[in-house]
Amino acid sequence: MVKKTVIEYTLDECVKCLKCVRVCPTSALSIVDNRINIDGERCINCMRCVKTCHNKGLQAHGSPLSAIQDYDYTVCMVPAAISLRFPTREEVEGVFYSIKKLGFDEVVDISGIDGAMMDETFRIADEMVTTSIITAFCPVINRLIEDSYPMLLPHLAPLKYPHETAAKMIRARLSGKVKGKVGIFNLCECGALLSIAKYPFENMQYETDHAIAMTDVIPMIQRDRHEGRIPVNLCEEGLRSSNPALIPYTPECLRADGFDKVTDVLDMAEFDLLKSFNLMYLFMCFNGCAGGNLLFGNSYISRNNLDALCEDGPGTVPEVPFDYMYTEHMLLPEKEQQNVVEKLNFFKKVNETLEQLAGLDCSACGLKTCRIMAEEIVRGNRTLGDCRILSARKDKDTETGKDEA
Amino acid sequence: MAAILHEEYPVASDDYAGAGKVSSRIKELLKQMGFGPDVSRRAAIACYEAEINLIIHSDGGKVILEVSDEGVISLAFRDVGPGIPDLEKAMTPGFSTADEEARNLGFGAGMGLPNIKRVSDTFDIETSPDGTNLTLTFRGGI
Repeated sequence: MVKKTVIEYTLDECVKCLKCVRVCPTSALSIVDNRINIDGERCINCMRCVKTCHNKGLQAHGSPLSAIQDYDYTVCMVPAAISLRFPTREEVEGVFYSIKKLGFDEVVDISGIDGAMMDETFRIADEMVTTSIITAFCPVINRLIEDSYPMLLPHLAPLKYPHETAAKMIRARLSGKVKGKVGIFNLCECGALLSIAKYPFENMQYETDHAIAMTDVIPMIQRDRHEGRIPVNLCEEGLRSSNPALIPYTPECLRADGFDKVTDVLDMAEFDLLKSFNLMYLFMCFNGCAGGNLLFGNSYISRNNLDALCEDGPGTVPEVPFDYMYTEHMLLPEKEQQNVVEKLNFFKKVNETLEQLAGLDCSACGLKTCRIMAEEIVRGNRTLGDCRILSARKDKDTETGKDEA
Repeated sequence: MAAILHEEYPVASDDYAGAGKVSSRIKELLKQMGFGPDVSRRAAIACYEAEINLIIHSDGGKVILEVSDEGVISLAFRDVGPGIPDLEKAMTPGFSTADEEARNLGFGAGMGLPNIKRVSDTFDIETSPDGTNLTLTFRGGI
């Protein structure tokens, strides 16, 4: 399966400031032919490059709303993370009304499924005696573990993404009840979730048909959300599951949000230093999914909204069939098993090349680090002459040489 | 059997601030070299435990990493003393001589050497008042 990034490079007047190249944790970005190139095999959709670009040259979009026309009956799922960003239930109900007005036949709150999946995670973790579980709800963290922390793959909870479970349940409910083609859309709070749907990125293995970016529809929501309401019974557990500060406290559960904290936890887990925890509840975004990078405004206050959203009796956690929640070997590495000897030879050549480079990791060549440059040289894609520092030193030596002559 | 890589890292006694730095570096190298998850994890866990042992118990020493072109990872931990007084006891799970300072920092649970032995493919230890030599190997080749 070819991996695709959700991030598009759009800016013609990009100044090649290299900020995005340098901030990328997986070295997926480089400058090729004077343009930013994003390697889908390396990109984990963390959106750090999008956030760092001052010129809005990098963006993420979901399917266009016109995709609704391709179906006879359409459902839009709204996760708890989006609802948690609004201060009152009335406001959430207004938002649901405005989303339906985009052209959907149904708007479904999936906070109940979000809650059920969180409860199931805690249940699995409690059953584990000798090992610990890492939550598998964040697509960025799943990709990061797969690519950079494969030692931890056996620890990932064998659960699906909540919206995928919800999509399967909705499809089962509608089967035989509505005529024609059913389209299930997911309204996404973060860029990485855009890849967990059949479209727009053609990841056909998923149950969800289309992913829609919250940022793409906010203008319409803002316009219509005071025009009407659709009753919503938000589930408290679901709302809690979308913000690390609201995850129920247990001494054995470690909660971490944000890239630096999450990688710190993963680094320690690799040394087996977190054995005293049975669960690591991880979110790549600050403030969890409620701090998703496709939402706008202040994510810090999302935790304050819980009480108001749950007053008048919150919704209950629904029963979810086991086979709707579980997934097998979702994340086993697909990479070809290359011979260790071959890999070691490559490593040796890269190290020898690296010694010839300047070693400043300046990114001026368009690649993030000298190691990446050395790898590219060994692969035959670049030459030592592409190193700006080496070239500058050479020019200087030639000049000095001339002077002496 | 030629060495692809040979590196030595000094470890100072009581250097709690630097604890884990050598192990992190070695773990990173093993990933770059393309070793599989299982062998990398075992080597990383052993390396961390042994590095902490040098900091807590020894008068200082070094870690030597060697990787052969056949994919054998060798980790050697050499210190300059004071030696392990009772090796048999030290190999017993739960036995610890770590002081209050170390225990307060979450170290010294008495699982160090038993854990290291459990995860490594070969385990050799020699100790005298002049120093301890711990040599571990991990087989990562196919």
